[in-house]
Amino acid sequence: MPVKFFVNGAPAEFDGPEEVPLLWVVREHLRLTGSKFGCGIGVCGACTMHLDGAAVRTCVMPVMMAQGRQVTTIEGLSRDGNHPVQKAWTQLDVPQCGYCQSGMIMAAADLLRRQPAPSDGDIDRAMTNLCRCATYARIRAAIHLAAKLR
Amino acid sequence: MPAVSRRFLLAGAALGAASLLVPIAMRPARAAARDAADYEITDWIVIAPNGEVTLGLSQPEVGQGSYTALPQILADELDADWARVKVRFVTGREAYKIAFRQEPPVQKEGASMSTTALYERLRTAGAAARDVLVRAAAQRWKIDPARCRSENGKVIGPRGQTLSYGELGAAAARLPLAAAPALKDKSRFRLIGKPLPRLDTPAKCNGSALFGIDVAVPGMLNAAIRTARSFTGQVTAIKNEADIRKMPGVHAVVKIAALAIANEDAPSQHPRVPHLPRHNAVCVVADQFWQAQRALAALEVEFDGGPSGDLSSGRIDAMLNAALDAEHGVAALTRGRPREILRERAGAVIERRFVLPHIAHAPLEPVNATASYRDGKVEIWGPIQSVTACQEAVAHAVGCAVDDVKLNVTFLGGSFGRKIVPDYVLQAVQASKAVGRPVKLIRSREEDMQHDVYRPNAGGRLRAVLDAAGYPLAIHARVAGQSLFGAVRKSWLDHTPEGDWDESMVDGIYNQSYRLPHFLVETVDTPLPIPVYFMRSVGSTAAVFFWESFISELAQRAGIDQYAYRRNLLADDALALRVLDAAAQAAGWSAPAPAGTFRGIAYNCYVGRGRRFKTYVAQVVELARAGGRLAVKRVFCAVDPGLAVNPNTLEAQIQGGIGFALTNTLKSAITFSNGGVDQNNFFDYPLLRIDEMPEIVPIVLASDRPPQGFGEVVLAPVAPAVAQALLHATGRRLDVMPFPDDAFRIADSPGRRPRESGDPYSRVGWAGTTVAAS
Repeated sequence: MPVKFFVNGAPAEFDGPEEVPLLWVVREHLRLTGSKFGCGIGVCGACTMHLDGAAVRTCVMPVMMAQGRQVTTIEGLSRDGNHPVQKAWTQLDVPQCGYCQSGMIMAAADLLRRQPAPSDGDIDRAMTNLCRCATYARIRAAIHLAAKLR
Repeated sequence: MPAVSRRFLLAGAALGAASLLVPIAMRPARAAARDAADYEITDWIVIAPNGEVTLGLSQPEVGQGSYTALPQILADELDADWARVKVRFVTGREAYKIAFRQEPPVQKEGASMSTTALYERLRTAGAAARDVLVRAAAQRWKIDPARCRSENGKVIGPRGQTLSYGELGAAAARLPLAAAPALKDKSRFRLIGKPLPRLDTPAKCNGSALFGIDVAVPGMLNAAIRTARSFTGQVTAIKNEADIRKMPGVHAVVKIAALAIANEDAPSQHPRVPHLPRHNAVCVVADQFWQAQRALAALEVEFDGGPSGDLSSGRIDAMLNAALDAEHGVAALTRGRPREILRERAGAVIERRFVLPHIAHAPLEPVNATASYRDGKVEIWGPIQSVTACQEAVAHAVGCAVDDVKLNVTFLGGSFGRKIVPDYVLQAVQASKAVGRPVKLIRSREEDMQHDVYRPNAGGRLRAVLDAAGYPLAIHARVAGQSLFGAVRKSWLDHTPEGDWDESMVDGIYNQSYRLPHFLVETVDTPLPIPVYFMRSVGSTAAVFFWESFISELAQRAGIDQYAYRRNLLADDALALRVLDAAAQAAGWSAPAPAGTFRGIAYNCYVGRGRRFKTYVAQVVELARAGGRLAVKRVFCAVDPGLAVNPNTLEAQIQGGIGFALTNTLKSAITFSNGGVDQNNFFDYPLLRIDEMPEIVPIVLASDRPPQGFGEVVLAPVAPAVAQALLHATGRRLDVMPFPDDAFRIADSPGRRPRESGDPYSRVGWAGTTVAAS
């Protein structure tokens, strides 16, 4: 029984084992490699996508949980890279190596959806994605900027 | 149909000219071979008829910002229109190679060397290109080139007539380049020195930036790998290979030959990584990576431990302590009569001991490579920090010519030195050879963590006597540990009659300008079978912690303010004083800290390999109470980096470097048992989180010096500055990293307010006796 769902608005289907993590289905079968693999245990957040608009860590999410649902990846967050979070990230040049940033942007977009004007404490609590380059100073500033750009 | 990424497949055969390879950010319009109508003006600059300028980038982009800063240098001297430049990774020519010390040049990123080594070369290339473009225009107009000028991608004649670089490319490409073209006076820089936005940011914000793990080439299979726990272990049995081969998508189960990791010997300084006559890993090759992972998880493999199967942290620490206590080390530096003075005043000796563990690079993108072995030649795609090292190691392993190893370098999802060692590349080559198709081999986080090339452990033993004024009269500093150069870079060892020493072990101790009449710096190597390699800031991450912490202790015992103490000792070095003063001033050091805030100050001059640059750094760390704990709240970081080519990327390095150092300081330790590594993933090798990141206040001092190295320079002072702040807060001295968590617990008790400087609780005396002049 294939799992049928939507990715960035378009229908998708996966015919393999239903416990395969959504991350690999998206990366390998759908060839959308913006979402990354960092740990495989849901700790680093590099794999963050939105499921029906809410952030999920897809390296530990079996694809069957996407059945009938809307998955949004970094590629589908905006049409031309102009989501307020992406605009803020670009304006402040947040990325260094950039590997964590797809997941970081998805997590930040989810935070702003739930809390349009987050405090530093809100950011501390919500943003648990890891950045090895420690771009955190600019991430924080960009979240505040994105809140103003919305 | 789902929205498929627009730029994905790399057509290996279509790469065309060897000198300009696949651009790092793949877009279909630029994926094809170089357009025949583009004109190559120099090794670094190609101009299209429509005026688009392609600038060559030789340095892999690991997050340091070379992707922007180095093209900036070319574009400024070229007078290119920055809005129309593209960047392409280049390889295959001597022009793209640099040397860190006296050794054959290589194409490699590392040692914070890229800008320092390439600054003049890129300026010359840009200027030479501008010169031929101007001369081509002058020829067309039949006038003296001196009457023309260049600006924003155009040559402008005396009557205001213009010709674009696009129109001139063909003619310019036919003119000989001047060997020593006139370079701009820096007052005329329009790009260099400007905080230009990074060129790779948009791709890194929309998912299109291509990292090694994202590569896909036609016919490619995927591999997952499991390696023996012990560094000397091997595969002894595979029990259910036949069953695994029947799993969906599985093509092969391949035994992988062990590699002598980072086994560099003179005269070559590349990690040769020769194959060893045992298999220490198994990989499963399948259509999709998830299939390979599932099959690998079900594969029953047995390993043994080999000769070092009993390697453990207990034994490593015992070796380290024995080395610290040994009668003699190898002297890296002797000045005056340190041994005699310390013996004469034995009763007044202040001594401190430190122990630091091995730590792991843990780049967020685990190591991976895509290899295609065919007809005795190899093509590689992936995150490669040293092009030359990879090519030579693969050629050596496969038995082909270096030129038969074609490299395609992607963005690197972090490296910090890890992705210079091409062990993971050789494993992918082995897999490809076994199955006869391209194979992308990706390590799990656990495999990456347990088969890293670690920053070595280090122990410090420092002993000092003070003069009558409380300043150090004699210091004996010994650093012990697994010598990095002894393991992987013997050609860089310094030789003395007593033995060899490794300067990376005492970087930040033996090469500083602290005033000290009697000084002995020694090293003791404790060789171990643990794979080690360069990691961001190398040995200074340990040595500067030992040194600056010890200076802090001496100041405390002398009852002298930490800033004043260092100011006194660095009095002969104007550039050192400048950064120290700037950090202290920015932090308001001379005024009392607010209640509940505690400060620590540290200094280091980062000396580039081969003494090719000197970058001065001073930091003040503020700890503040938050609930029952002290948190690192703010870090003032003053730097003298010479000319900052791009102040935007420089600031990012200050911010990120301090964050990276805080992970080392507060969290990182690799421990060993049963021959291998205990840590697995980010739950037992945690990284700094955003709520632990302090506010960073960068202070960048203006300088007439050329660009000095920067990627590594802000790390080393962080740990001793935090330790000193803790000393001021609680009186507790820290001599290990990572700092124990309980050191940061502080009771929210009213009343006691420790003094900021000097010893907070009691004045621990120093002998204060006058020493006869030596």
